[in-house]
Amino acid sequence: MSKSTFLGAMALTALLGSSAYAQDNFEVWHYYAAGSELAGMNALIDYSNSQAKDAKFTGVVVPGNVVELRRQLQTAFLGGRPPAAYQSSMAFELKAFVDGGRLHPIPDVWEQIKGDEIFPAGVQRVVKIGGQPYGVPFDLSLINNVFYNVKLFKELGLEVPTDWDSFAKACSALSKAGYQPLGNAGGTFWSLYNFYSPLVSIVGEEGYYKIARGELGFDSPEFSKALDLYRDKMIPCYAKNWSGKTWTQTADDVVNGSTGMFMMGAWVAAYFEQAGFKGGEGFDLFQAPGTVGKSVFQMDVLAVPAGPEATIAAANQFLVAAASPEGQAAFAVPKGSLAPNVKVDASVYNYAGAKLAKQFSDASAKDAVLPNLFFLLPTALGTELGNQIQRFAIDPSDATKAEVISTLEGLRQEALANKAFIAW
Amino acid sequence: MIPREWIPTRTTRTHLAFLALPVALFATFYVYPIISSVYLSMHSWDGFSPDMRWVGLQNYKTLLAQPRFFNAVLNNIAWVAFMLIVPTGIGLMLAAILDRGIRGESVYRIIFFLPFTIPAVAVAAIWRWMYEPTNGLITTVLDLAGLGWAAQNWLGDPAVVNASLMGAVAWWTTGFAFLVFFAGLRNIPTECIEAARIEGATSWQIFWKVSFPLLWPSTIIVLGMSAIDAMRLFDIVWAMTQGGPAYSSEVLATQMYDLAFGRFEMGRASAVSVYLLLIAAVVIMPYILYMSSRVQDSEAE
Repeated sequence: MSKSTFLGAMALTALLGSSAYAQDNFEVWHYYAAGSELAGMNALIDYSNSQAKDAKFTGVVVPGNVVELRRQLQTAFLGGRPPAAYQSSMAFELKAFVDGGRLHPIPDVWEQIKGDEIFPAGVQRVVKIGGQPYGVPFDLSLINNVFYNVKLFKELGLEVPTDWDSFAKACSALSKAGYQPLGNAGGTFWSLYNFYSPLVSIVGEEGYYKIARGELGFDSPEFSKALDLYRDKMIPCYAKNWSGKTWTQTADDVVNGSTGMFMMGAWVAAYFEQAGFKGGEGFDLFQAPGTVGKSVFQMDVLAVPAGPEATIAAANQFLVAAASPEGQAAFAVPKGSLAPNVKVDASVYNYAGAKLAKQFSDASAKDAVLPNLFFLLPTALGTELGNQIQRFAIDPSDATKAEVISTLEGLRQEALANKAFIAW
Repeated sequence: MIPREWIPTRTTRTHLAFLALPVALFATFYVYPIISSVYLSMHSWDGFSPDMRWVGLQNYKTLLAQPRFFNAVLNNIAWVAFMLIVPTGIGLMLAAILDRGIRGESVYRIIFFLPFTIPAVAVAAIWRWMYEPTNGLITTVLDLAGLGWAAQNWLGDPAVVNASLMGAVAWWTTGFAFLVFFAGLRNIPTECIEAARIEGATSWQIFWKVSFPLLWPSTIIVLGMSAIDAMRLFDIVWAMTQGGPAYSSEVLATQMYDLAFGRFEMGRASAVSVYLLLIAAVVIMPYILYMSSRVQDSEAE
């Protein structure tokens, strides 16, 4: 073989190889690395692959969480090789990448899937930036429920709490009987998710959105009252040494019966089920005081980076399949979350899922759906809010309260000066 | 016409050829990132937008006004002190004990060194469970020993968390100091030890007056590596506490990571990295200069 023939063959092989890669191997990046989360994502990808005509997708796990995924995405964007689609949080997480010119709007997909009909209004508003949809919701979890150990409640004859007074009574009874009343865990998110309950109690839904829009200050009397309510009613209930535990360690405490209640996202129900702790028998759940009839939720979406037309066309096929009732159920059932698509039949859920789906449906009908404030705020402010609330939960003194308020208000003023807030 | 003496000789050309690759690698992967970080630190940038906004020294000024930043600096300094004293001291002690010819020496050598071979994330996972405050191994052992009062909220109490992390790191890194010191002790000429023994020196005097001074090259390596490890500390802290609770265990590297990827503040994160470079230079450069002079003295002798 002559040198020129050999080089020509090599070039042709490389060309065919890259062409085949572009057609067949589109990547979907996500951070669901194990257990029920990975099972859900794999099921979703399998379903989408069965529906897509001329594109196949491979899931690529970025170990860690949303922060690790951002790091990978930043590098990929700078290198010009982003994935075809990726798992993203909602609201400001999307806005940051839209402002950076890195996301592709999906109005055609939205129209095709009838997004305005299949997703509740509260869900729609956190995937649209400037009126344009940028993500397809696929993974929704309520974060305003308290999970409790049924056996302990029966043993002590406790009623399921419905307001702050009955909640305090349950805490007191559990504590007197030698149990840890309310579990919590260390980290930026968990104390903040608990705090939404007293916050909504004081400021209501409108006040919640006012904070998200930067209109209600952290130095306002309302926010101060919410901190006081959190300090008076929830923090004293927390289990001893809660801040040194992970959420799974605290979930284990509920399973083994040393802790009575645990306010955590709905994913803890899947963890309980995996541990053989069955919904309705081992554990049950109720909406946290102040949020009865409302749903505070955390949600992930599938976003499409700006890129070559062929990649976007393939990603659009993936999104259409992921938005369908079958695609949504394929993910939600193994993962233990809710399908944002209201067309998904409620019979696919287990005990806890069915209860949560009913809550979400009822709240959606009343437009009492509140997206996670962490992601409604500008990213730096949302993250700081999580850190400061955790700090206050560890040391709820007046001095800490003053520092929390001062720190957050300083950041709010900075965000206002930069016109960083938007109206969701 | 180029003067004849300016034309490199064949030997010089060979030297230049051999130097080209390492210099290119050093410039690409060391000098360029530093220059790039300094450049980024003077901009406001989220890490993925096409445009950056020039802010001059604003990021540096903002950091200097934040208690969070100073807390991270103090934590780094505490880590330097800890790494220079604790793993190094324990490693030296273990090496000295094992050098006395204990039965099963090879088994102990493996046991002492084994933790150092475990990746940081795995160490973090192990110690997260060890430090579980209710049912973790440490709390359980303390309870069984009747020392339950000493059990702490190991990773959840801001006053305790740094000591807990240091405990895990001591377990993890002591093996390195041990191995270097043990190799150093084994390389000390036996005549020196025998001579001291004949002169009537006690075991302690032999160690302190003979062995330890002769361990100087090993000490240079261990202390130098420990100081550098302390300044660039990231993985174990991030994997165990992510700098929490409420920033109490944060070091500069974890703060840099949080700002860059947790908050989209790449410019401010770069300013932290420049401060880290300067602080590391202030802390470590005198040591390196001192050690360089000692090496030169040794060569002169």
